[in-house]
Amino acid sequence: MSTVGAGQRAGGAFSGWWRPAAPLWVLLPALVLLPLLVLLPGLSHGGGWSLLAQFGLAALRPSLDPLVLGSAVRGLGVTVGMALLGWALSLALGLVLGLASSRLVWQRCSGRLWPAQLIRRLLALPRSIHELLWGLILLQLVGLKPAVAVLAIAIPFAALVARVLSDQLDALPTARVEALEAAGVPAPAALLTALGPALLPQVLSYGGYRLECALRSATLLGVFGLGGLGTELRLTLQSLAFEELWTGLWLLLAVMLALEGLVGWLRRRWTMPTRLSIGPQPVTRGESSMGRSGRELLLAAALLVPLLVLVAWSLEVEPGSLLNWQPLPPLPPPDWRALAALPWPALVGNTLSLTLLAAALAVGLAPLLLLLVRPWPLGRATLQGLWALGRLWPPPLIALLLLLVLQPGVVTGALALALHNLGVLGRLLLESAEHRGEAGEQALLCSGNGPRLALLYGRFSALARPYLAYGAYRADVILRESVVVGLVGATGLGSQLLEALSAFAADELAALMLAYALLTVLGEELSDRLRRRLLAG
Amino acid sequence: MTAVLELEAIEVAGRSRPRLDGVCLRLEAGERVALLGPSGAGKSTLLAVANGLIAPHRGRLRWQGRERARSRRARRLQQSRIGTLWQDLRLIEELSVQQNLNAGRLGQWGWPRALLNLLLPLESGACAAVLRRLDLDPALLDQPVSALSGGQRQRVALGRLLRQEPMLLLADEPLASLDPRLAGELLELLLQEGRAPRALLLSLHRPDLLAGFDRVLGLRQGRMRFDLPRQAVTTAVLADLYGAALP
Repeated sequence: MSTVGAGQRAGGAFSGWWRPAAPLWVLLPALVLLPLLVLLPGLSHGGGWSLLAQFGLAALRPSLDPLVLGSAVRGLGVTVGMALLGWALSLALGLVLGLASSRLVWQRCSGRLWPAQLIRRLLALPRSIHELLWGLILLQLVGLKPAVAVLAIAIPFAALVARVLSDQLDALPTARVEALEAAGVPAPAALLTALGPALLPQVLSYGGYRLECALRSATLLGVFGLGGLGTELRLTLQSLAFEELWTGLWLLLAVMLALEGLVGWLRRRWTMPTRLSIGPQPVTRGESSMGRSGRELLLAAALLVPLLVLVAWSLEVEPGSLLNWQPLPPLPPPDWRALAALPWPALVGNTLSLTLLAAALAVGLAPLLLLLVRPWPLGRATLQGLWALGRLWPPPLIALLLLLVLQPGVVTGALALALHNLGVLGRLLLESAEHRGEAGEQALLCSGNGPRLALLYGRFSALARPYLAYGAYRADVILRESVVVGLVGATGLGSQLLEALSAFAADELAALMLAYALLTVLGEELSDRLRRRLLAG
Repeated sequence: MTAVLELEAIEVAGRSRPRLDGVCLRLEAGERVALLGPSGAGKSTLLAVANGLIAPHRGRLRWQGRERARSRRARRLQQSRIGTLWQDLRLIEELSVQQNLNAGRLGQWGWPRALLNLLLPLESGACAAVLRRLDLDPALLDQPVSALSGGQRQRVALGRLLRQEPMLLLADEPLASLDPRLAGELLELLLQEGRAPRALLLSLHRPDLLAGFDRVLGLRQGRMRFDLPRQAVTTAVLADLYGAALP
């Protein structure tokens, strides 16, 4: 046994100060609550508390008028249909683009790497522009048609799917491909045989998650007038018809929970990875048996095709209609001086602070609330309900609701985004907390610790890295999404973009979109690095 | 004198047959007791009842003369007097040795100190003393437990138990995955720490390691087959417990 010098031990103690332990990391983002609590009283105008109370009460007595119900059901049908079509299209496109942007595929099939890099770079543009912007631009170009929303969802989603697919593909071990190629198997067949089975569960799991996203996006597009239930939600909210609003919301909640339940069930049945492994550094768990699930999968795919055709037919989606462009007003030459006069630093600064505030709130509140309710018998169910409501509400609707009591601005926009993303993150945390660290928590409980401390030390230790890595990904999503709360005003690039769109100031629109795309690409790179560091641990 | 642990006619229901059926046991301070039995005899269930993880369906259970407390606070205090060495150790991999040792104190500490321990590990002196007692180098305090060897991890888990200062030490087959040398060392430490005022109850699958124990219990199909002083445990008694062949 050796003795340790005092200096060495003091050094150890010092290292503790600048390196807080894993469970604390999870709680640190919640520190953003402190400045927020100081700011909020100054931002509230107090006029709308009674309206907010009316809104809350209306949840208990939604309108059951057959007319209201009928229109909500029709709207919901359109939203679900748009989501389904946009999702299917994005998966098909994403698969092709994903293979086309994979370094491994190009290297094995042609020996060159640059085409993969090029396609990957090009895909950054459609990916960095939110589906809402795609929708509004297409709306200007071809007019209000059902196909617009479908395509608006499909474009960024396809680019996202392509990126995740190619990242996962390139991260897989290649020894098996090499073994097959050495035996004279052509490259495409070798890739398919060696990597297909390992890739499939991850792609399917991600695909299921994208379907949930597509439903949220389709609702959101509706809020901006692209049809479906979202339009009704916004109209009923703006006319303060809260009972009718809740009719639509409860219906949407039922569909959303049913969809999430179905996706989760399939994921378990086909033994696919959970969502915490989403990202460019996948946990390779390709050992699942593909026998029964393979057959079921084929059956599901075979059933999906006629379903999609039926949905497209009933929504009257005509892909050909996208080719008929509306006559555009003559575009004036770009006014460079006006463009340069835009308050760029403020726009970018507001967008970034909006994103960081929203991300910190969403990432920090989920574990904090979980700790808070841990000892309560109904705590888990309460949180599940709260988080389902958060996911259900498109952020612009939350923002409109917040405007009843808060002044417009960055904080209000951030709160709206945070509440929505809290729904996503909170559910993820709850689900993954059930899979990780149960033994550690139990050991702590058995030695006389309270349930909160046992959760903090026992489970959050193991969860910290993957959860924060997912949080980094979420921050990236929030940055892209910050445009959707632009209508709350004074919230950076988003609101300026929406203004430019409605005025159809083409030069300003192009400049703003470019700036936005650049910012999201940078943000993506940053969040990727952070995530890789967290997961490499 | 009150017993550290008292079980009276404990019954735990199972699917086809009871996992424990009318088990009685009285453990006095200073007693070091080994629990033997073939696989599926109910050894783990008995230990889970003894540490409060499983509530028995019938029978009475007392720790230091008291039944399971009703209030949450009293219950936690009661639990903090029972220390379990888990077969999979259940160390918190992401934390340092010192933070893991201190996890044994959390029950007494409350929130502020528990949070502070994550920022600046507390009570270095006491933790170093525990490591020395277990013949480990105090320089390990700053190391993450994930960087330790198997034997070191066993000792840190035991150290966390000692920091908890329990009256009753429970261990479920702690030697199962260890090589003979490590198993011998850990057993020696456990026997040493299980002396009065504590009591030790340890399940074993190796009848050749009984030397240091005061008493031996034999469990088979959920029933107590024997409860004998160690000297009275003969080959015949063991053969009866395990069936014909000895493991």
